[in-house]
Amino acid sequence: MITSRHQVQNTLEQVDQLVKFLAARIRVALGPDTAFRFELCLSEALTNIVKHAKPNDRKGLIDVITTDRDDTVLVEIFDPVGTEAFDPRNHATDLENVDSLAEKGRGLGLIMQCADVVDYGRSGDRNRLALQFAKAVVTQAGEEE
Amino acid sequence: MIHSKTHDPNITVIGPGAERLTAMNAKVFKDEVTDLINGGATQLIVDFKDVSFLDSSGLGALVGVLKKIGHRGELSVSGLSNDVKQMFRICRMDRVFKVYDDVDSAVQSMAESQ
Repeated sequence: MITSRHQVQNTLEQVDQLVKFLAARIRVALGPDTAFRFELCLSEALTNIVKHAKPNDRKGLIDVITTDRDDTVLVEIFDPVGTEAFDPRNHATDLENVDSLAEKGRGLGLIMQCADVVDYGRSGDRNRLALQFAKAVVTQAGEEE
Repeated sequence: MIHSKTHDPNITVIGPGAERLTAMNAKVFKDEVTDLINGGATQLIVDFKDVSFLDSSGLGALVGVLKKIGHRGELSVSGLSNDVKQMFRICRMDRVFKVYDDVDSAVQSMAESQ
């Protein structure tokens, strides 16, 4: 099991760099299809925090912990201290029900659809979103299952 | 950010000018393409061949451009990487946009339909 911890400020520039960095690191472990889902979920979750959690506090800190296990990768995302709770499981719109010409409103639905397990709750004085991804099983033909 | 090239007859091919189209640059992309539309461009192809990642903000900007064109013209996309193609599929955008393997196919198809 390998755990890595990262901390970024509450800005789109910093979270985008972190997403790019973590996605590149985890790609081999997850396989390309799952790695895409990992990158997308991480991008959506962190963007939501920057845009909605504490938009007036750009110095607030976001913590991200990834844990690479035998069969899964877990990513835990901690809002800046003092952020109100927002459980995506209670607010996500099924992508099937999003107006195809809507410019917003897909982020939470993407997280719910693309992560294998979504958990949310308090951890000390922080809100914690945990997303789990099962590692792809590669067949002898080299295809992901 | 974006770069554009006009093909005869009046087809504009746009490169987003970034490897990742996300919340960080989606608004700039939309604003710059909107400027092209306001300048008279109505037959647009967004070529994603140099874009490796697209999130919901980037996709929303693309939908915004489509709405801006409305019935005045046409918007197609080309050169989607596997990840971008998967994003289109998950969000059902493959039902909304005409998708081409490469920009040449998109230009040819759009020219023939004019």
